[in-house]
Amino acid sequence: MAINLTRRNFLKTASIAAAGIPLSKVVARAETGIAKAPLIPPGSFKDTKTVTGGICEMCFWRCQLVGKVRGDRLVKLEGNPKSIDNGQNLCARGNSGIKLVYDPDRLKYPMKNIGKRGAPKWQKISWDEALNICADKLQATIDKYGPKGIAVWYHGASAHYPNAYFDYLGVPNKYEPAFYQCRGQTAMAMMQTLGFVPNEDVDMPNSKAMLLVGCHIGENIHLSHVKNFLKGLENGSKVVVVDPRFSAAAAKAHIWVQIKPGTDTAFLLGLMNYMFDKEIYNKTFAKKYCLGLKRLKKHVAEWTVEKTAAECDIPAKQIVEVAELLAKNAPNVSIHPGRHAAWYGNDFQRVRANACLTAILGAMDCPGGIVRIKRMSSGHVHWPEVDHEEDPEEMALAEVVEKYPFRPPGTPPELMRDTMISGKPYPIKSLVVWGTNSIKTMPRQERTEKALANMDFILVTDVTPTDITMWADILLPEASYLERYGHVEKGTQWNQGDKPQQFLSARMPLIDPMFERKDPVWIINELAKRMGHGKDIPVRNQEEYVNHLLKETGLTIAKLRKLDGIYIQPGESPYLKKGEEPKFDTDSGKIELYSEAMEDEDFPPLPTYTKTAEPPKGFARMIYGRSPVHTFNRTANNAWLAREIPENPLWINDESAKKMGLKDGDRVFLENQDGKKSVSSTVVKTTPGIRKDCVFIAHGFGTFNPAMTVGFHKGIDDNSLNTKINREGETGISGMRINFVRVIKDGKVIDIPA
Amino acid sequence: MSATLADIFSFLALLMRYPEESFFDDEFLDTLEDLLKSIDLQPYQQRIAYWRSKVADQLLDAQVEYTRLFINGAPHVIAPPYGSVYLEGEQSLQGKSTETTRDFYRQYGFDIVNKAEPADHISLELEFLSCLYRQEEITAAEKFLHTFFLPWFEPFYQQLMPELRHPLYEVSMQLISFFVQEDQ
Repeated sequence: MAINLTRRNFLKTASIAAAGIPLSKVVARAETGIAKAPLIPPGSFKDTKTVTGGICEMCFWRCQLVGKVRGDRLVKLEGNPKSIDNGQNLCARGNSGIKLVYDPDRLKYPMKNIGKRGAPKWQKISWDEALNICADKLQATIDKYGPKGIAVWYHGASAHYPNAYFDYLGVPNKYEPAFYQCRGQTAMAMMQTLGFVPNEDVDMPNSKAMLLVGCHIGENIHLSHVKNFLKGLENGSKVVVVDPRFSAAAAKAHIWVQIKPGTDTAFLLGLMNYMFDKEIYNKTFAKKYCLGLKRLKKHVAEWTVEKTAAECDIPAKQIVEVAELLAKNAPNVSIHPGRHAAWYGNDFQRVRANACLTAILGAMDCPGGIVRIKRMSSGHVHWPEVDHEEDPEEMALAEVVEKYPFRPPGTPPELMRDTMISGKPYPIKSLVVWGTNSIKTMPRQERTEKALANMDFILVTDVTPTDITMWADILLPEASYLERYGHVEKGTQWNQGDKPQQFLSARMPLIDPMFERKDPVWIINELAKRMGHGKDIPVRNQEEYVNHLLKETGLTIAKLRKLDGIYIQPGESPYLKKGEEPKFDTDSGKIELYSEAMEDEDFPPLPTYTKTAEPPKGFARMIYGRSPVHTFNRTANNAWLAREIPENPLWINDESAKKMGLKDGDRVFLENQDGKKSVSSTVVKTTPGIRKDCVFIAHGFGTFNPAMTVGFHKGIDDNSLNTKINREGETGISGMRINFVRVIKDGKVIDIPA
Repeated sequence: MSATLADIFSFLALLMRYPEESFFDDEFLDTLEDLLKSIDLQPYQQRIAYWRSKVADQLLDAQVEYTRLFINGAPHVIAPPYGSVYLEGEQSLQGKSTETTRDFYRQYGFDIVNKAEPADHISLELEFLSCLYRQEEITAAEKFLHTFFLPWFEPFYQQLMPELRHPLYEVSMQLISFFVQEDQ
């Protein structure tokens, strides 16, 4: 065969040779991609190495991991055997990090959009050209409008260093969805009430009872957190889940309170009233450490069992049962603070109610309660302090408009977006987006697109294409979490009841980045040099960055590497010792059931319930949540995860479905109260496990960008149907569960019966 | 004759590389036209000549199309030019087949220069073939063609076909096909 083929090529090439075409001259000008190398005989032994020091970022829980590397190829990820947090376990997403790294759709080179925003035409350009354009454009904005003319939308560990640079530039408006579409109120309302932010540090394994209001642990998989929940169950803790839907957590519950959506605050006030009325709350704790106990008692008195039951549409005896259970087991009860809280636009008050309930049960700093976990500390990298013509803090939009006094760090995104559209109170003309897909995170997408269209310049940096990358003028490819140094993770053994230990780990690359992907320290330093700030660069590269973060611990990358990526030392129990008094970092030094600070700002000083609008006839409330193998839209294009859960089934009550002529597996679109239709469709799941006044879909599906070839148009994008939002006065955070939908099947609109 | 084949495969490799100023100029395109004429592919030569007469900035035009087809396009990248994407059923880069491809290079005393790029990029595979021809390793070249290159070149070409509107890439693919396929 070889002889024949050689003859074939001989015939073909003969005429070329005869024609005397200067091929060799032309090809000699280009650099070669293949070069001579030492001969390696076939069958040479190739070892699989274990590389330590990885920290997962498929979600934000940051499990510690190791990689199995063969040659230059990452073949498998596993939990770091040394981990006292996630241990050897990784979740489905953690395992699928490999598919992110080697996704052919991933960004590979810097690109310039020579088409339109939203309908891009890409030209691959050099880093030098890309960074020169970014420096020129950002400088032009600063020259014309000052640093306040730049907005930054960011998320994730890779944005920390860029963020520090934009602080140095004096950029006042920055937005992170972690606060404004997720945990903002949970953090701020807890802070305002208790004087500390418990995050989700709740000692479930050692509790006797747990209360989860809307938390669906098990669908929201944060590994050590799930371990805590399951250990609690194993240890016999009684679980109460308050959810309109039979969630994964509800499936494990002893009491499932199938509450009417939007009435959670009333439920919490009702529980407190019953406990006050029957005098079964933790009197000693409440009297000693709480401010405004009497006023709270009076305030909740209207929430009798009957009234609460009617408002929440639940049996009265369930309220009694839950209140008795929690009170009986106090203080060893886990009143879960929750995570995502941007539900109805009255959520600050709900979290305050949650904090007050925790307080009157004294469920903190003790086994089973919310605990103040004692972690090691590490440093920060700052750019030098410089004087700005305008004080960035004063120029922050919320300060200028004098609103949202209890907002989390940053600028409320819709406020920023309004400004980008109107130019008032001042123009914002350049946007930097770092590692977040704001098309999916911010409700009212048409407003976001309008704001984007209004910019002079948009820089987007990410690891993969997302919806918002289609709007970039310059698009930069970043090394993923497995290919760079970065985040320092600090924690303790996962079960607070076990022997106290502390750990520290720093992210180290398991493999080199491919193509021309770069780490954020390199990108920002190169940008800074081009903007004339080279002399102020605080760290020269990513290794120096991490060593700087580690400085106060006495550790270095080299030392951590010798320790297989994780340093462990004896820790301290988070439980109060006998005779030790708890401290509360509030204005009064006590837990503020009654908040004067809130009264001063004209907000209700005691947790207050406000009704949320009811669905119009023919519609049901759209509630959303998490899918256990996805992290919002970030994993939509991951081939392994998409194969497990490719879309987000629409949960609809089985009796309603029957009346509507819907059955499991039907394909449907959704239409909301404003006539907005979903671009893509999803599959129907009929179930008795959801109330009739709401339907459920998981968030993060229905990708718009066809460059995400796996996730494109799979399932429905819930956020595209969030055309109505309710911006809360305390924080500027918008509630999103106030949109209502009905179903479209085969082009026919079908009302959802009440 | 294998010296000519080596030059031809080097040239094909360049056609599949991101067009850069360093090599992508009038002389390069003249050579392409001459090559097409010499093997009686005049209709393709005329398409290239027509494109060159109509498009002022040919480099930019070729770069944008290359990006759309092979890097990150909109609506989506048409056909990632890496063997593992087609050979392993999981649409992944840097797969097992990428590793065996690179092992094959190394067995013959060659390796990729830029370790950040997967070894099974079409341009690198063509360049490797050129290296083998230059060393008169004809049997090895045929073996590589049949066991590594052709098994994914076919599905790659199929995936690309409906989007092959640009004369440069339509012709480039025809030309590669001409030199690697069996005679009918």
